[in-house]
Amino acid sequence: MQGHHRGKKVLRNSSEVALRSIAVFLMSVFFLLFFAVPIGIAFIGSFHQWNPLKQQFDFLGMRNWNRIFANGLFWHSMKNTFVFAMIAVFFRVILGLILAHVLHSKLIKHKSVYRTLYYLPTITPMVAVAFVWKFIFDPRIGLLNRLLNSDINWLYDGRYALAAMLILTIWKDFGYAVVILLGGLYSLPTECFEAAEIDGANSWQRFTRLTLPLLRPMVLFVIIVSLISYFQAYIPVMVLTQGGPGTQTYLVTYLIYKEAFSKYNFGYASALSFIVFVFIAILTAVTFKISGKNVPF
Amino acid sequence: MKRRLSSISLNIITSIFCIATVLPFVWMLSSSFKSNIEISALEQYFFPRGFTLQNYVNVLAGFDFMRYFINSLVYAFLITVITVYTSTVSGFVLAKYEFRGRELLFSCILMTMMVPGTVTIIPRYSIMQFLGWLDTYKALVLPGAFTAFGIFMMRQACYAIPDEMLEAARIDGANEFYIFHRIVFPLLHNSIITIIIFQFLWAWDDYLWPYLVIRTSSKYLLPIALNLFNGRYSTDYGGLFAATSISIMPVVILYMFFQNQFIEGVSSSSLKG
Repeated sequence: MQGHHRGKKVLRNSSEVALRSIAVFLMSVFFLLFFAVPIGIAFIGSFHQWNPLKQQFDFLGMRNWNRIFANGLFWHSMKNTFVFAMIAVFFRVILGLILAHVLHSKLIKHKSVYRTLYYLPTITPMVAVAFVWKFIFDPRIGLLNRLLNSDINWLYDGRYALAAMLILTIWKDFGYAVVILLGGLYSLPTECFEAAEIDGANSWQRFTRLTLPLLRPMVLFVIIVSLISYFQAYIPVMVLTQGGPGTQTYLVTYLIYKEAFSKYNFGYASALSFIVFVFIAILTAVTFKISGKNVPF
Repeated sequence: MKRRLSSISLNIITSIFCIATVLPFVWMLSSSFKSNIEISALEQYFFPRGFTLQNYVNVLAGFDFMRYFINSLVYAFLITVITVYTSTVSGFVLAKYEFRGRELLFSCILMTMMVPGTVTIIPRYSIMQFLGWLDTYKALVLPGAFTAFGIFMMRQACYAIPDEMLEAARIDGANEFYIFHRIVFPLLHNSIITIIIFQFLWAWDDYLWPYLVIRTSSKYLLPIALNLFNGRYSTDYGGLFAATSISIMPVVILYMFFQNQFIEGVSSSSLKG
């Protein structure tokens, strides 16, 4: 009976009020204490000389922000981050598309075994896996030089250090894209593909005319998730290169953590973090915009 | 013929990626059973010639790695149990009760997913300092007690539970606490397993926040200890391989058992999101 009155205000009994109040109260406290308040503090702090060790919180006006834009290392880190993120996203999406497409084909057996293995690096802990790769890149004991029969100092040579970080990142993450995109392919109607095959569309045509357009939402999802995470990547830097040689492989999030937790420039680091935030937001918006317009992809 | 050819080439592609994926793990594991002399010898073999467990003995006895392992286990367990409970309660309340501000509250929760963690970590640290919680597990666990991912997932899952079922229980005189714990909670087991898996992995993977908050070395978590070990014994390759294997293998084993839940969990997260 009550079901019919399920409009706005049917307070059933005290237990509903109690359960609801507890949950709403805890969620609100949590949201305020660990989210809204911190963002407020970070924003205000970005206009201050803020050092928690010295109990310092002195108003600076725009000086933190001005210092950032005048800082060569900031621009260098931003450029690195941009290059790093673009290449990593590109490979993650391309490898994801290719392998999902291949695994979707009837010519492959043991699909689930492949999928399981591809996804394995994604679930393993980042710090530990980064150390494994540090050893793989090691010029003395490393596996990579031995396989390539080369003599490259991957982590300490400025020409290769960023590439090394990218290899680790792409290796770790491509499986995620495969799983997501393959899930997308399975959710598509099989009749489309069968019809296309009967109509004589070859594999490439099916890929560009069917798979890509139909998968667009999932591809978009992968791109955005990746952008957000790659703009905050720092563990590859921390474990593999420590930003070196010199400061050549600094990524912007690594710079933030250096400023915040080595130098305790909390105000300066907060201003930096807002710049990263805005940058991610812009890139996400641009991604939506581009993908919304031109139809094939 | 053409079909056969493309079948072969496709299988080659998938196999190459399989090898590339698995090789680092196998190499790590196999090197962890080699002596340091063998690891840095000029002549190299993929599998150990003189099989030894000495590296594991050194790491576990000399560096007390088991303690960090247990710390990580306790932390991951705690945070998983807490988030499963908070996510289901919140998801249930947001899905099944109507009240003023419900949509606003849910939007606020979703907003936490949009803002990068880099922005909030510095002030959070200050808040913990202000509360005097630094160097406690409280500071580790409480900020992660609610997750937008969990609440979002559980809210979706709760929508799938028919209202009539809850109404029937109410007519039978059950109160809401009983309904939630005895009727709703068991119905959500699929989503709960997904949350358990991912939350546990994330906790096992956590680096920066535990690194900042915890000062006393006996309370360190595994990834921090691993980093410490690397800094201190950077030439003990065998030990490093053993330590890394200890950090990675539990996850791999867990994955082998629950691979289907893992894969379904990820796929569904994108279809819903």
